[in-house]
Amino acid sequence: MLGAAIVTITGNREAFIENYKGILEYTTESIVLQGKNAKICFEGSSLSIDYYTNEDMKISGKIDSLRYI
Amino acid sequence: MLHWIQYLRGYVAIKVWGYSVERLLNLCGNHDVLVWNIEDHGDYHTMHISIPGFFALKPLLKKTGTRAAVLGKYGLPFFVAKMWKRKIFVAGLLCCILFWSLASCFIWDIRIEGNFALTEDVLLDYLETQGVHTAMKKSELDIEKLEHALREDYDLITWTSVQMQGTALLVRIKENDMPAYDNGGETKTKGMDLVAEKAGVVTYIITRSGVPFVSCGDSVEKGDVLVSGAVPVYNEDTTVRRYQYVEADADIILRYARNLSLEESVSYDEKRYTGRIIEIPVLGAGEKEISFRLFDIPYAFYDTSEEKKQVQLLDHLYLPVYYGKKTVQEYEITQKKHTDEEMEELLQERFRKIISTLEEKGVQIAKKDVTIKKNDEKWVMHAHMQLEESALKTVPTDVEPVGEAKEETENTGTEE
Repeated sequence: MLGAAIVTITGNREAFIENYKGILEYTTESIVLQGKNAKICFEGSSLSIDYYTNEDMKISGKIDSLRYI
Repeated sequence: MLHWIQYLRGYVAIKVWGYSVERLLNLCGNHDVLVWNIEDHGDYHTMHISIPGFFALKPLLKKTGTRAAVLGKYGLPFFVAKMWKRKIFVAGLLCCILFWSLASCFIWDIRIEGNFALTEDVLLDYLETQGVHTAMKKSELDIEKLEHALREDYDLITWTSVQMQGTALLVRIKENDMPAYDNGGETKTKGMDLVAEKAGVVTYIITRSGVPFVSCGDSVEKGDVLVSGAVPVYNEDTTVRRYQYVEADADIILRYARNLSLEESVSYDEKRYTGRIIEIPVLGAGEKEISFRLFDIPYAFYDTSEEKKQVQLLDHLYLPVYYGKKTVQEYEITQKKHTDEEMEELLQERFRKIISTLEEKGVQIAKKDVTIKKNDEKWVMHAHMQLEESALKTVPTDVEPVGEAKEETENTGTEE
């Protein structure tokens, strides 16, 4: 689907997000990103952003859940 | 790889706090400001940012109401700037690197392996004549040429290998341990005589080739021809037709007399070390040497021994700098006298040595008369010996005139 966010999760330690629109919230417990149609919410502990650009982002830490709000 | 690029381009670790850090991150993304390793610490966030990104950050901070502080600067641009403040250190470092690079262009040590008959001194002198010496440039050395020259100039050397090991030149040779053969081709046309090397009486003779001129019991002088290499070929009327030249070969033993007298003083100086030692550190560079001692040596008699080591770096990097110590040992001299038994033993020992040296040379002692004359100051041993030795040498045969016209002069070469 055109413009939809692509989320790739490796185990529960790494997540790779493409086509996101922006960062809405960033704490060690949760990272909320804006997708095209929905918000993407990562919850866990010791979450950190390894790097990000306008197009993609890499999150690492212990991911407990991924929710679309 | 990415780390290397980040290091080469340089980056800054910053701390960001304020109203909306998330908005700052979004703006950074939109303005192509490269940010990574973002960590949340509750009250503030830390992150790494590129140097151009850091300079572009100011308006974004203002817009989002956040503040930033530098925590650390990393990477090559900052390292260079830091080093620029320590010019002397950097200059020293560069000089050091330059020194090592220059020093490693020269040969600082020459090692020779595999030589038995040819001494190291002889080979080193030879290398010197070939322009190979320590402290010469490596680039001036033609290894192939040196290997070839060594083989050419020394018949004894059958194989050479010259190689550089760091700054040391390793010359490995193999010497010919096979017995040398006489060049038979030349002797056949010319012939070889056996002549006496010493005057004496022939006690034994067996001829294998050539014409013997002497027989058992004959007295000969030094230089007399014992066996001739010119074998006459006779005509039917017993005149010499021509000479056939051979290499004379015979076992001949000459007996000759030799007198020997050995002297030994009864009194002698005994050297006794007192146990007092001075050790002096020594530092040397090339031919020059410095001893670290201010005062003169307070001993009347002393022996000096020196131990030096060449400075070596890594495995094969030798420098022309030496260090070591000089040991000065004091001794005292006391006058003593040998007892009669000691005197006899000393003279006998010297005599035994002379005899064993003669025997090593292949000389046999047929007879010996030994007398010892004694007085208070010295003993003298007189020995009269009859020696037997195969004292021969080969010389080219005097080429006899050949042809019918010279027949009358050639009747000397009669057999037996």
